[in-house]
Amino acid sequence: MTGEHPALALRGLAKSFDGKVAVAGVDLDVPAGSFYGLLGPNGAGKTTTLSMAVGLLRPDAGGAWVLGHDVWADPVTAKQLLGVMPDGVRLFDRLSGAELLAYHGLLRGMDPAVVDQRAAELLDVLALADAGRTLVVDYSAGMKKKIGLACALLHGPRVLVLDEPFEAVDPVSAALIRDILKRYVAGGGTVVFSSHVMEVVQRLCSHVAILAGGTIKRVGTLEQVRGDRSLEDVFVEVVGGRTATGEELAWLSR
Amino acid sequence: MAVPVTAPASQVRPVSARHFVKLKLRVMGNNFRGQGWRVALFLVGSLIGLWFAVGAFFGLAAPGLAGDDRYALLVAAFAGGLTVLGWLLLPLVFFGVDETLDPARFALLPLSRRTLVTGLFAAALVSVPTVAVLLALSGLVVTAGVFGGWSAALVSAVGVVCGLLLCVAGARAVTGAFASMLRSRRVRDLAAVLLAVLAASLGPLQLAGVAAIQDTDWDRLTGVASVIGWTPLGAPWTVGIDVAQGRAWAAPVKLLITLVTIVALLAWWSRSLESAMVGAASAGPTRARPGVTGGVVAQLFPRAVGRLRRDRFGALVSREARYWWRDARRRANLITIAVVGLFVPVMVNFGGQGFTIDSDQGFSAAGDSSPVLVSLSMLFVGLLAAVTLANQFGFDGSAYAANVVAGVPGRLELRARITAFSLYVLPMLAVVAVVIALVIGEPTWIGFMAGALVATYGAGLAVNSFVSVLGAYSLPETSNPFAMNSGAGVVKGMLTLLAMAATGALAAPMVLAAALLGDTWLWLGLPLGVAYGVGAALLGAYLAGDVLDRRQPELLALVTPRR
Ligand SMILES: Nc1ncnc2c1ncn2[C@@H]1O[C@H](COP(=O)(O)OP(=O)(O)OP(=O)(O)O)[C@@H](O)[C@H]1O
Ligand SMILES: [Mg+2]
Repeated sequence: MTGEHPALALRGLAKSFDGKVAVAGVDLDVPAGSFYGLLGPNGAGKTTTLSMAVGLLRPDAGGAWVLGHDVWADPVTAKQLLGVMPDGVRLFDRLSGAELLAYHGLLRGMDPAVVDQRAAELLDVLALADAGRTLVVDYSAGMKKKIGLACALLHGPRVLVLDEPFEAVDPVSAALIRDILKRYVAGGGTVVFSSHVMEVVQRLCSHVAILAGGTIKRVGTLEQVRGDRSLEDVFVEVVGGRTATGEELAWLSR
Repeated sequence: MAVPVTAPASQVRPVSARHFVKLKLRVMGNNFRGQGWRVALFLVGSLIGLWFAVGAFFGLAAPGLAGDDRYALLVAAFAGGLTVLGWLLLPLVFFGVDETLDPARFALLPLSRRTLVTGLFAAALVSVPTVAVLLALSGLVVTAGVFGGWSAALVSAVGVVCGLLLCVAGARAVTGAFASMLRSRRVRDLAAVLLAVLAASLGPLQLAGVAAIQDTDWDRLTGVASVIGWTPLGAPWTVGIDVAQGRAWAAPVKLLITLVTIVALLAWWSRSLESAMVGAASAGPTRARPGVTGGVVAQLFPRAVGRLRRDRFGALVSREARYWWRDARRRANLITIAVVGLFVPVMVNFGGQGFTIDSDQGFSAAGDSSPVLVSLSMLFVGLLAAVTLANQFGFDGSAYAANVVAGVPGRLELRARITAFSLYVLPMLAVVAVVIALVIGEPTWIGFMAGALVATYGAGLAVNSFVSVLGAYSLPETSNPFAMNSGAGVVKGMLTLLAMAATGALAAPMVLAAALLGDTWLWLGLPLGVAYGVGAALLGAYLAGDVLDRRQPELLALVTPRR
C-alpha cells in the first residue's frame, strides 16, 4: 500500500475567504519516506493548504489523500495515520504538559501503559520534564512548540504534518527536533513541514515546494528546485522580492 | 547612525477619547463585515432594546403625565436605584461586559493611565444598552418638567446623564475588580465567596422590597425613597424632582455625590485595568506540586473520575472536568449556577413562610408555595444550568482543533462533555432540591423537585447540544472572564433565549404532572423525572453528535477567534 500511494496527495485544493483567494488549486504529491519542505512568503497560503490537507479546514474544491485514504470522505482512517502540529492554534493549554500528552495519547486510542512510557520519554528528550505541573499556558513560546510536536509524535503516525515547527525554538532545541525528525524519516515515516528558515530546509529536505500567491511555483527534489544556486536565491527570484534601496524609511537612521 | 534614545516629542499629537470611540465603532463595523446574519441579529436585538426602553420611558414619565406628584420621587429613586444595581450585578451574573476594545491591546502604547481610562470609558458608553437606558430614564425628565418647568427638566437631564455615567463606570469597575481577583489563584475562591454573598444579599433585598410594597404605607416608602435619593444609587435620578418640589439646594449636593462616586469608580477601575493589561491570559502561577506519582495518564484523571476507564471517553471527561475548574470563564459560570440556583427558588417560594406581612394584599403570587410553583422554579434552575453549555465549544476556542485532528466521534464528544459538566452540576442540583425543600418546610417534596430539576436539566442538555454545535461563536481571548464581543453579545442573548424557550417547552410536562397528579407525583416524580432527563440528554447527544460529525471543521472555524 505504501508503495503505490504517495504519503500525502493533494489535488486541486482551493480556498477563498470572503471572496479573497487564499489557495488557488494546489496539486502536490509527497512521496512516502520523503522529507518535504513547503516554502512561501507570509500569506502565501501554507497554513491554509496544510489545514485543508489534514482535515481542519474544509476546502472549496479539491481533495487530500493520506496513503490513499481520502481525508474528507474517510476521515477516521486518514486521521489515524496523521500526526499534526497546526500553527496559530491553541493547545488545550490549561493542562500541564504531562496531562496534555496523556490526553492526546488516549484520544488516539492508545494503550495507557504505552502512553505513560512514550510521554515520559518525550518529555525527557524535549527537556520539558522540568516544567513539572506548570500549565502549558504558562510555557514559553518555544516550549509550546515542543509540547505541540510531542503531541503530534506520540501515537507514532505514518505521516507528520508540521506548520512552522522551528519557529521560536532555541538552537539547541532546533537541533534536537531536527534529529528527532531525521530519525523518524529514516524509520520510514514521512514529514511535511512549512518553514521560513532556508538553512534548515536546505539541510533537511529531500523535496521542496515553493508556494506563492496560493499556487505552487516550484516543486521537486531539493536538487531539481535549487539547481546550482542557493535555495534562498531561488526563493527570492520566485517570490519576486525587493531589496531596500536606502531611499525609503530614511527616518529610521537619524 | 545611532538612533537617539529620547526621540523629540514635538510632533506627538495628543490622543483623546474621540479616538477610542472611533476605534470602537470601526472594530464593531469590521466585526459585521460580510456577515449579514450578524447585522440582522444586531438590528433585531437593538429593536427589542428600544421597544423595552420606550415602555420604560412611559412608565417613568407616568407620574408626570398623570399629574400625580406623590409618586414622582418614589419612582425616580426606586427605578433609578434598581437600574444602577442592575448595571453593577447583571454583567457579573449573566451578560458580561462588552470588551470590543481589550485593554491589554493598549499595553504597549505610550498612553497615560488617565487617557486610557477616559478613552475606554468613552468607548464603553457607545453601546446599545446605554442608549436604551438613556432613552428609558429620560422619562424622569418629562416628569420633572411637568412639575417644575424647564429648569427642573434641565437639571433632571443633567442628572440622568450623570446617572448613566455612574452605571457604566460602576459596571466596568466591578467586573474589572472581579476579573483581576479571579485571575489570581490565591484569591479566586475568595472571589467566589464574595460574589455569592453579593448575590445572596439580593434575596433579602427583594424580600424587603416585597414587604415594602405589601406595606402600602406610602409615607414610609417615600421616606425610604428620599433616603435612597441621598445615596449614589438614587442621587442622580432624583435631582430633577427635587428642583420641581422646591428643594433646589439639594440638586448641586446630589450631583456632587454622583460625580465623586464616578471618579472613585473610575479610579478603582483604573487600578484593575493595570493588572488586566500586564496579566496575560494565564491563570497565574501554578502551585508547585512536587512528588508527581504515577504516569502521565494518572495525572490527567482527577480523583473524582479516577474509576473511569483509561480510554478516549475517560480522557475527554477528565480534560473537561479539569477545564471547568481551571478556566476562569467556565468557573464564573459554575458560580453563577450555584448562586442563582439557590436564591431564585428561595425568592419565588419564600412568600408562604413567615414573610407574609399582609396576606390580603395583591402580592399573593409569591404567597404559599405550591407544587406547581416549586416545579416552575426548579424548571428555571435546570434551564439555567443547562444553558451554560449553549456555547460549550466556544470556551475551547481554537484548541478544539486537537479533537478535530484526532477525529473524535461527535456522539462520544458530546456525551463526554455532558458527563464532565454533570459532575459539577448534579451535586449542585441535589443541594438545591434539598435546601429549597427544607427552606419552604416541605421535605416530602424533595423527590419530585429533584425529578423536575433533572428532567429539565436533561432536556436542556439535549437542546443545548444542538445549539452548541449549530450556533457556536468565538469568545475573545482576553483575561477577563466577563468579556464578550459586541457582535456576539446580541447573538448570545438570542441563542440563550431560544434554547431556554425550547427547554422550557420540553420540560413543561413535569409542571403539568405536578399540577394534575397530586399526591401520586410525590413518589412518582423522582423516577420519572430522572428517566426523562437522562433519556433526553442521551438522545440529544446521539442526534446532535451526528450533526457534529458532519460539521467539525465548520465548528472549529466558528469558535476560532479572529485576531
Ligand atoms: N480565517 C481566515 N479568514 C480570512 N482570511 C484568511 C483566513 N486565514 C487565512 N486567510 C488569508 O489567506 C491567506 C493565506 O494565509 P495563510 O495563513 O495560509 O498564509 P501562510 O502562508 O501560512 O503565511 P505565514 O507564513 O505568515 O504563516 C492570507 O492572505 C490570509 O489573509
Ligand atoms: Mg502560516
